[in-house]
Amino acid sequence: MKIFVTGIGIVSAVGLNIEQNLCSLKSGLTGINKSPVYNLMLAEVKLSNEEIVQLLGLPDEDFSRTTLLSILAAKEAWGKNKIASIVRTGIISSTSVGGLDRIEKYYFESQRDTSSKAYSLMTHDNGRTTERVAAELGISGYIGTISTACSSGANAIMQGARLIEANKLDRVVVGGCDPLALFDIKGFSSLNIYDQNICKPFDDKRMGLNLGEGAGFLVLENEQSLSVTGNTPLCLLSGWDNATDAFHQTASSPNGKGASLAMINALAKANINPEKINYINAHGTGTGNNDLSESIALKTVFGDNTPPFSSTKGFTGHTLAAAGAIEAVYCVQAIQSQAILPNLNFSTPMKETGMVPETIFRSAVPVEHVLSNSFGFGGNCTCLIFSKVR
Amino acid sequence: MYITAASTISHQPTFRNNGFALKLSELKPASEIIEPDYSEFIPAMDRRRMSGVIKMAIACSIDCLKQAGLSQPDGIIVGTSMGCSVHTKNFLDKILAANEGLLSPTSFIVSTHNTIAGQISLLLKNHGYNMTHTQNSLSFEQALLDGILCIQNEYTNVLVGGADEEENSINNIKGRLNDENIHITCGASFFILSDKADSPASLNLAAVESFGLIDDAAKITMNFLDSNNISPEEIDLVLYSNSGNRKTDELKRMFGQKKIFDYQTVSGTYYTNSAFAVHYGADILLEKAHPVFGDKISRVLVYNNLIPENLGLILLDNKIN
Repeated sequence: MKIFVTGIGIVSAVGLNIEQNLCSLKSGLTGINKSPVYNLMLAEVKLSNEEIVQLLGLPDEDFSRTTLLSILAAKEAWGKNKIASIVRTGIISSTSVGGLDRIEKYYFESQRDTSSKAYSLMTHDNGRTTERVAAELGISGYIGTISTACSSGANAIMQGARLIEANKLDRVVVGGCDPLALFDIKGFSSLNIYDQNICKPFDDKRMGLNLGEGAGFLVLENEQSLSVTGNTPLCLLSGWDNATDAFHQTASSPNGKGASLAMINALAKANINPEKINYINAHGTGTGNNDLSESIALKTVFGDNTPPFSSTKGFTGHTLAAAGAIEAVYCVQAIQSQAILPNLNFSTPMKETGMVPETIFRSAVPVEHVLSNSFGFGGNCTCLIFSKVR
Repeated sequence: MYITAASTISHQPTFRNNGFALKLSELKPASEIIEPDYSEFIPAMDRRRMSGVIKMAIACSIDCLKQAGLSQPDGIIVGTSMGCSVHTKNFLDKILAANEGLLSPTSFIVSTHNTIAGQISLLLKNHGYNMTHTQNSLSFEQALLDGILCIQNEYTNVLVGGADEEENSINNIKGRLNDENIHITCGASFFILSDKADSPASLNLAAVESFGLIDDAAKITMNFLDSNNISPEEIDLVLYSNSGNRKTDELKRMFGQKKIFDYQTVSGTYYTNSAFAVHYGADILLEKAHPVFGDKISRVLVYNNLIPENLGLILLDNKIN
């Protein structure tokens, strides 16, 4: 069965829609800046919550930033789609923060003042943010949320495809979102994992990651849905897999076992040989551990013939649960524009593998199949493959 | 599709206590979690840093694998609404206390929702499919549905569970349910889903669906039964949940007054308590009778309408060929 991608939407530090993001990728413009508040390099979406509410014409509610960024990107992906009873439509989002940005506000207030608005704490529940996005699009029925740390977005996309394949849904909005929350900023700081400059994925002198925020969403449909919606397919979601590293709660294994398993199984699912992949959007966080482990996994799967690859986290920062979804949208754009996306800030190949990522936006190359990697805490490894519609 | 093993830790004596559903009394107002001796399941060093939900989930997982005679499942799928909320609160407390000072990452790294499924995979050294669903009151139904998809995709055995821990200062369930009188508890229930009914405790998992932002629970339930070619009369027992003093007139009209039972009177309230209900129903189906619900119980519907806009439906029977 074919799974068609028919809509994409994105909000990140390098753009508030798909055109702005592609434009930044072309011009090599990073979204990572020094945050005066945290004295850290962060990739913030340059819109306040109030501005998003105004932009979207939303009512006056106690929105979490997760919900607002999600609605912005999901609405762009959804576009002119309409609810139709004969097209079974669902939504699967993903987040690690959920409504934790609201929790912080009220939790810290309630430490001082026990009479504060405790009811708002209910927004911690990740599912609540997806329900609010569903309501905005008019979707009811299958409304789901995945939370597997930094592979969440990719897993939500995979779940959507699996539900279509199992004939449970005809059309599904899939994606993920995380806002910059104090919880994660302090959390990754406690892991001592930040690059004090813009991150350098796959570079020998890489120092760590930069946190970012954003949301990415896609619309997936089966053939039956297409015949009703009349949507034009942008590409196919042809392969996917999730596997587990089972090495450590936060660190990736030295041999990249989980990552290579996910890639091998996704290639098998797509029924293509490794040499057919034209571009890999790597997880590439810029940490010593991830980039080495991922490089070794790439060698395991592709041998000495690794296709052109890059990490786009030098643009967007590491957007956690949104990363897999934002990067999936970038993969669709790579196929649409027949281009390979650049890796910023690379100069020296790492000693262990000598692998060199693509550093310029290279257009006018045939891009038939694109592979996207996402890895998260708990050893969670997910690989998606997007293919050009023939 | 079969459930071949089940294991629950809860506020009731459910763990390693087959036939528990025939004996359980209504939950006492000041109930507490009844935990087994975890030393059998988790090494002492790991145990100290694990929060309640992880320990419950691991003990139930290992118990399930033992019952089914398996060393490894092909996949591990967890439904959890609140995830590791105790460690989330711990880390928030630390941020508040430390201000600009250094923080220990211990609570942070185990605060993600998928720590539960991740720790099970680490302990088992399992490299298979690993997924975490977190859709408040439907988290378990979505995990179970995912398990069914795995079995349909040629997996042989999958471990599926629902688990939530109690952390009332950041889990405002009462607020969402608009019900101050509910009895907040916690628990974990895990199951082995299998393509074969190869254990004496095997039951048929006939159907699972999850519906969000619903407007007519009765209509959706009738459609669900229709699509499974079952009439309401063929359901012997409906285990239901709701909240906020909502009426059950519709359920009584559909299924009859004597056939419906509010499972929260025994499980208490947590968002994944429909997993408790599945084990409770499975226990009755294996005994084929119940002192209150009668004899010849061969088909159970778990009707989860805890949050008014959400409906989870799980159909179980003991018709194993």
